[in-house]
Amino acid sequence: MKLAVAVQRYGADINGGAELHARYIAERLARHAEVEVVTTCARDYVTWRNERPEGVDQVNGIPVRRFPVTHERDPNHFGRQSRRVFDQPHSIADEIAWLESEGPASPAMIDYLERSASKLDFILLFSYRYYHAWHGARRVPAKALLVPTAERDPAIGLGIFGATFRSVRAVMYNSHEERAMIQAATRNEEVPGVVVGIGSDIPARTDGERFRRKHNVRKPFAIYVGRIDENKGCKELFDFFLRYANTFPRGLDLVLIGSAIMPIPQHPRIHHLGFLPDEDKFDAIAASDLLIMPSYFESLSMVALEAWALGRPVLANGRCDVLKGQCIRSAAGLYYERYEEFAETLYALESNGPLHARLGRNGRDYFTQHYTWPVIERKYLDMFDQLKREDASGARRPVESLGGWLARRQRHQRPAAEVLTKIPSNAVVPGSGAAENLSRSA
Amino acid sequence: MTDFSIRSDNVDVEQIMRQIRARIREKRGVDYTEEEIRELANVKLEKFLDPRGVRSDLLEQFRRKREASLPPNFKFEDTTLFETHRGLLAFIRRLLRPVLKLFFNPNPLIDALHIQSKLNAQQAALEPLYYEVIHNLVLETTRLGIDVKNLKMRVESMSSRLDFDERRARALEGVVQYRPGAVPPLQPPSGGGDSRAPESAEQSERRNRRRRRRGRRRPEERTGGRSGQGAQGAQGAQGALGAQGAQGALGAGGTPMSEGGEAEPIGEQSDDRDDRGLTPVHRDTDGEPSES
Repeated sequence: MKLAVAVQRYGADINGGAELHARYIAERLARHAEVEVVTTCARDYVTWRNERPEGVDQVNGIPVRRFPVTHERDPNHFGRQSRRVFDQPHSIADEIAWLESEGPASPAMIDYLERSASKLDFILLFSYRYYHAWHGARRVPAKALLVPTAERDPAIGLGIFGATFRSVRAVMYNSHEERAMIQAATRNEEVPGVVVGIGSDIPARTDGERFRRKHNVRKPFAIYVGRIDENKGCKELFDFFLRYANTFPRGLDLVLIGSAIMPIPQHPRIHHLGFLPDEDKFDAIAASDLLIMPSYFESLSMVALEAWALGRPVLANGRCDVLKGQCIRSAAGLYYERYEEFAETLYALESNGPLHARLGRNGRDYFTQHYTWPVIERKYLDMFDQLKREDASGARRPVESLGGWLARRQRHQRPAAEVLTKIPSNAVVPGSGAAENLSRSA
Repeated sequence: MTDFSIRSDNVDVEQIMRQIRARIREKRGVDYTEEEIRELANVKLEKFLDPRGVRSDLLEQFRRKREASLPPNFKFEDTTLFETHRGLLAFIRRLLRPVLKLFFNPNPLIDALHIQSKLNAQQAALEPLYYEVIHNLVLETTRLGIDVKNLKMRVESMSSRLDFDERRARALEGVVQYRPGAVPPLQPPSGGGDSRAPESAEQSERRNRRRRRRGRRRPEERTGGRSGQGAQGAQGAQGALGAQGAQGALGAGGTPMSEGGEAEPIGEQSDDRDDRGLTPVHRDTDGEPSES
């Protein structure tokens, strides 16, 4: 079997969510198929500047073919385009212009995918909202599997993506909430889909004490791993934690791992350790009492899965459907939406040993059952088999037309932000209306 | 703070969250949103705590306003009704006053107005005092408001800490399971030398068992030194730090427990506790809290 993985950036040094996801999947599927990665020469996700050489490269034994980006992103232009399509009635042409301004525009990459499609069994397109995924899905729909990595942001309300989601061969979702959101936005229920997510290379042994010695952390602590950014909910986390620390002067400390792009409050119980290598990160999680995930928007939190894999409960922001849903389904975490809930849940996890133990154990079971690599690989391989059977039966979904020149310029599209507000946002839990989704994907 | 009893293997996170929310509602009385609470707090602060809200020049303001708005008081005597600066007219009025009194009696009117004038004067004298008192009351109320707020916060903090300690103690007690017969029941003091012999043998056996489990102590440990960290942690109790103590375990009240769950004397506990003194629950090497 021959597969191509198309993603906006690729490299061993790129730790962005979707890119890392793509790398893990490419490396894992390489055990079962011949895999080639098709990507751009960009390294920076803001500018898409061509920083890597064009041509074929090897990353961890996987061939990587890079194509140049035709233009860098102009933040001002992109901002104007975003306001137009997100906040105002607009046309399909406006949306395509927005996609072009978002980047990374690489027509050569799309041409290559089209040219090599006949030699490939399937093409995995990562991140629905980028140029390569949209154009790739339209040019080679018969081979395209989409891994959307969609978050609850207005882009999902753009009309051009509806056709993409309806025309690809299959969609590999990260979570039940992501699937519910995409299906509500694009009505693509007929497209085969499965909730897969991603595994993680959890080390067989972790040494929490080594971490404590190395970083001189002696007291029990809760941990946050990730970019320390207001958009990740860190400001709220700091506010809440400082109030909690005042209420419980001898409670847990807070250890932060990751690069900071916002000021971190100076407090004796908040320790920022910066970016750490994987070994230290896993040791830190193993040494912690729990992981806090304050982010409002996640399509899948890998670090939450890693914490569960190591038997640590998670305290998540309940306003993020995905995290809330995972906490409920796994029975391995609690969630909060305001300070009182934050204090109560953190206190419960800190002081209630049996509850902590049970949640930790559930997390480990949840990870083992759904997110270990054999499970993930099996889901991909099963989907490939299913699609091959469909190929044999000759079933095809036509690509939807976006209309002629005039139709594309009619301002009939509703503001994407308005569309997003109409999309229900709830955690998908057993017993709810979306329970059938759960059983189907399980 | 919320207390949850986890008795079964199934944990219903939604149920726990419902309990937490019910508890918050119960505490608060009404389930305000965070924004509403902030708004209410701001209103309170504006009224009582914001120094701009307290008028320290209240008295001055009053005086200025009073002088500007109030008509002047005047004295009202029995002759006031008939006074005039014209001499001839005053003479005629005095001459005709008996005639006037044939038609009506002006004396009650004069008395009433006289009293009113006196009252006005008294009131004018008292008003500044009233305002002085009000001014002081406002200052005192503000100060008391701040004191009450501080005390409430302290009470809340104390209550939370107490609650925290109680729950932790309860959780730790739940973890410790005494093995029947492991600790002999208390005997009344006998004082006889004969009855000590069998007990001593039993105690000696227990002591030996304990020593075997812990290994030999270094001299500094025997003399009360710290039990050490790292390698010693393998036999000491480091449960509080969540990772070590491969063979030890921190029992209730910080008592090191043997593998069998037999509680050892508190006096022998390790010093490797965190600054909280206790940990909510002992975690084994995998971080799993031990559930004896």
